[in-house]
Amino acid sequence: MQQAKKLTGMPVDRIDGILKVTGKASYATDYPVKNIAYAVLFKSTIAAGSITSIDTSEAEKVPGVLSVITHLNAPKLNVKGGLRGGALLQGPEIEFHGQHIGMVVAETFEQARYAARLVKVSYRQTDAKVDFAKLADRAVPPKDRGMADVKRGDTAAALRNAEVKVEEIYQTPIEHHHPLEPHSTIAVWEGDHVTLYNGSQIVNGAQTAAAATLNLKPGNVRIVSPYIGGGFGSKGGQWANLVLTAVAAKVVSRPVKLALSRQQMFNSVGLRQRNIQKLGIAATKDGKLTALAHETTTHVAINSEFLEPCGDCSKVMYDVPNSLITYRVVPLNIILPTYTRGPGKSTGSFALESAMDELAFKLNMDPIELRLKNQPAVDPSDGKPWSSRSTIQCLKEGARAFGWEKRNPVPGKTIQGDYLVGYGVACGSYPARQRESSAIVRLTAKGPDVRATIELAASDLGTGTHTILAQTAADGLGLPIDKIHIRIGDSDLPPAAGSVGSVGAASFANAVNDACRKITDELVVKSGKQFFVAPTAAQLMISERINSYEARVDAKPPVSANQYSSHSFNANFAEVWVNRSTGMVKVARFLAVTGAGKILNPKTARSQIIGGNVWGIGMALTEESVIDTRWGNFITRSFADYHVPANLDIGSMETIFINEEEKFSNTLGVKGIGEVGIVGVAAAVVNAIFNATGKRVRDLPVTPDKLL
Amino acid sequence: MRPFKFTPVTDAASAIALLAKNEHARFIGGGTNLLDLMKEDVERPNELIDISRLGITKVSTILTGNHSGGVSIGAVGKNADTANHPLIRQKYPLLAQAILAGASAQIRNMATNGGNLLQRTRCPYFYDVAMPCNKRQPGSGCGALEGINRMHAIFGWSEHCVAVYPSDMSVALAALGATVKVRGTAGQERSIAFTDFHRLPGNTPERDTNLAHGEMVTAIELPPDNFAGNSYYLKVRDRASYAFALVSVAAALELSGSRIVNARIALGGVAHKPWRAFAAERLLAGKEATEANFLLAAAEEMKSAKPLGHNLFKVELGKRAIVRSLQMAMNK
Ligand SMILES: Cc1cc2nc3c(=O)[nH]c(=O)nc-3n(C[C@H](O)[C@H](O)[C@H](O)COP(=O)(O)OP(=O)(O)OC[C@H]3O[C@@H](n4cnc5c(N)ncnc54)[C@H](O)[C@@H]3O)c2cc1C
Repeated sequence: MQQAKKLTGMPVDRIDGILKVTGKASYATDYPVKNIAYAVLFKSTIAAGSITSIDTSEAEKVPGVLSVITHLNAPKLNVKGGLRGGALLQGPEIEFHGQHIGMVVAETFEQARYAARLVKVSYRQTDAKVDFAKLADRAVPPKDRGMADVKRGDTAAALRNAEVKVEEIYQTPIEHHHPLEPHSTIAVWEGDHVTLYNGSQIVNGAQTAAAATLNLKPGNVRIVSPYIGGGFGSKGGQWANLVLTAVAAKVVSRPVKLALSRQQMFNSVGLRQRNIQKLGIAATKDGKLTALAHETTTHVAINSEFLEPCGDCSKVMYDVPNSLITYRVVPLNIILPTYTRGPGKSTGSFALESAMDELAFKLNMDPIELRLKNQPAVDPSDGKPWSSRSTIQCLKEGARAFGWEKRNPVPGKTIQGDYLVGYGVACGSYPARQRESSAIVRLTAKGPDVRATIELAASDLGTGTHTILAQTAADGLGLPIDKIHIRIGDSDLPPAAGSVGSVGAASFANAVNDACRKITDELVVKSGKQFFVAPTAAQLMISERINSYEARVDAKPPVSANQYSSHSFNANFAEVWVNRSTGMVKVARFLAVTGAGKILNPKTARSQIIGGNVWGIGMALTEESVIDTRWGNFITRSFADYHVPANLDIGSMETIFINEEEKFSNTLGVKGIGEVGIVGVAAAVVNAIFNATGKRVRDLPVTPDKLL
Repeated sequence: MRPFKFTPVTDAASAIALLAKNEHARFIGGGTNLLDLMKEDVERPNELIDISRLGITKVSTILTGNHSGGVSIGAVGKNADTANHPLIRQKYPLLAQAILAGASAQIRNMATNGGNLLQRTRCPYFYDVAMPCNKRQPGSGCGALEGINRMHAIFGWSEHCVAVYPSDMSVALAALGATVKVRGTAGQERSIAFTDFHRLPGNTPERDTNLAHGEMVTAIELPPDNFAGNSYYLKVRDRASYAFALVSVAAALELSGSRIVNARIALGGVAHKPWRAFAAERLLAGKEATEANFLLAAAEEMKSAKPLGHNLFKVELGKRAIVRSLQMAMNK
């Protein structure tokens, strides 16, 4: 009955793997709902102004069309209900190109899509603000107090008097999340209660925002989201399409399915903002940092603000007496930016870690040595001790595993046939947090057959949440993993945190672990016996002949969590081959070494890290969403124009996890790996390109033309 | 997508007759280009005539006529089958390379040779019906001329259109001096030299080719040549696979010792049609196959380049790609 080995920490195969590869795992639009109708959104073709007229008569004549919904006939919604990005069809105002302005609901998807093309719209245009490059010098401080200037010491003076310094500007373009599964929803009403099948990184957040927007009580909205085809932040906060599906279903009094097309993904569900980052780093001749200034200019939406914190890594990475972190923003007629994998840290670390590489080069110092020399003993931003920090081990073990000693420090000197070869290194970090989550464990026994069901409104983006929770429960209850049934992704279940900000594993797994402990303790008490060797819950169910039992916890992080600064840290190593004639870059080898506390499942964890690495390589080499400033529209509207790296672009990918003990931030010692995998990656690649070619590229992506 | 009628056919004559009858009808081969464009509302046919079952799929040696000893490729043959056919691999490795440099394995398994020739530009202004585009809607203007034109033409464009033609296969066919076999409404056959098949935009960018409505591509003929030992297809792109060319070069040399008897160079990603680098070819004929001569030839060809706002890099890249592909053709 009791399994011999602990499952947590083992590379257990995904428990939902077979379901997924056989198509049996139901994603949002896979639910077999009867009598369903299809909605297709249509969008504005101007970036600023208002709609003067909408002619839907042609669309309405199309056979099968049930309704055309625009701001003229849409039900009244609460625009402050907590959805992101507006576009709720509540008025004629246009704030960005591609804003939803209506939808067609029809018997078939094809009819709806065709009819949507027939809607004629006239506008009154006003001056659209879309040209970030031109407007950047008019940027103002953000409204968000959390993004106010942070100063320590006198950075300006330290930079002025520096023995050696780097002062450069680093630019990153707009990126889009582009999960494999575009945002899609099925809405089914029963009376005044609506069920929304919708990929949701934060199940309870989607529920409260949808309810508030629909002017309903949260209990009247149910979110069902057991499987999500990726999200990367774009399914964290929810967008208009979620509630518009419910609106369409209400209007036609039938269940409705609404799926965004890939083209619509560019202006429906947020983006990673473009950043201009000014870095100033000063050091003594022997490489001790004396100042670090990280000043970011970016854009926000015209009527709402979100900006990613590009200066975050610069707060914690290095021991530096003088520090300055600032943000300035320009409101633009472009869709609201939002959380995007490694928000701020991925793009910010590109700037910081490129500048560190430039500094090392100026100092004639190995870039690893420079980093080792400036490691902070405590968190420089608040003086708190680290709960654990393995940057030094990451760098040292990584250097050994990668063969760093083979790197020629002189750029442009390593030639292999048609190629220039270079090595690069860069570090990264991402905060570790446990958030409040509740969980229920239900045990049932039929003779010796004990089974457990675990319930909480957690989410699985495809990362492996089902699997790590099953492992945790198996260990916590003393059951084999195939006796564990995981129920997540449903707002009817106990409320939980989301798969956002790398808090998922720590929040969900600790809640499940706490629930398993609680049920075991209660069963011990119930037995009225004393034990020399603590029995498992499974053993107690059998010995005490209990048929069913359940326990619920509302798990919280331990008090110690607040007394420490807790982050995952990494070091990234890249070997690039740059074609001497064409400028094409291949990342021949990539190694990420990560210290992230307890790794619950090295197999799913590795997938998380290399997934982040690939995106970071995309950030370095290929990904860019381009706007035509005359209209404010994206001209990169498909995967033919928006390039993510393909297999041929990357050779081997290796992942090492440091055996790190994390005692303070949560009971299980889990620090989270969802985001840290992308942090520092772009810089490692770009630093390697410099080592290969002697060319320093400071605006991403590094397409072949930039290396000619 | 607009409603349309779908008509499968099994013989070329009725396919052509059906197409000729309806100016809004289109042939559909693999559908990998046409269906995408229909979903985007760029192409709006009201009838699709499915020619994928016509059976004109063979790759075979030509036994008679002035191309005797060459190879004929059926228009409905799949790109993948064509690239992997032993006759193509042995006699025209340049063509096999070019086909395999395009799209993805899945798409090449669906795509037909005729459809590949007739695929339309990937210009984003062409694809987005909210944008002006003379090719899609004559008279609406060219969005790319003053817009985002990093991917666009440096040769042969007009103020009406700066789009480039995207096929890789066609770049090799242009270099190899292929002929397109066409069948018309009255059953008459005609041959079009590859360089005359696609058009420059001029005042009529809506016309990609010199094919008349109702005509069907039935085959592509490759003349016999002596290029198989010294040819190379180089495709420079933003990522290593599954991306259209920034610049591509099909280079083929016929050598006598180290002297170039005959040079063929065609460029992709630089014009509204596969761009035969005649100036470079002329310069190389009779010369020694040296890097210095390759450089001279490349520079000569690029003299007539007219870059746009965002694609100046294509001039330098084009030069380098010509030189490198010629070197590779020399197996260096
Ligand atoms: C994501 C993506 C990436 C791609 N990347 C590349 C690339 O890198 N390089 C590249 O070269 N290509 C690329 N392609 C394009 C691909 O090669 C073409 O889509 C394909 O070759 C078209 O062939 P088809 O048979 O599917 O044509 P269809 O879509 O069926 O037809 C295309 C056009 O040809 C016409 N037509 C078809 N057959 C005939 C005939 N026999 N006679 C007259 N007219 C005919 C049709 O009416 C239609 O107008 C890519 C495509 C996609 C979708």
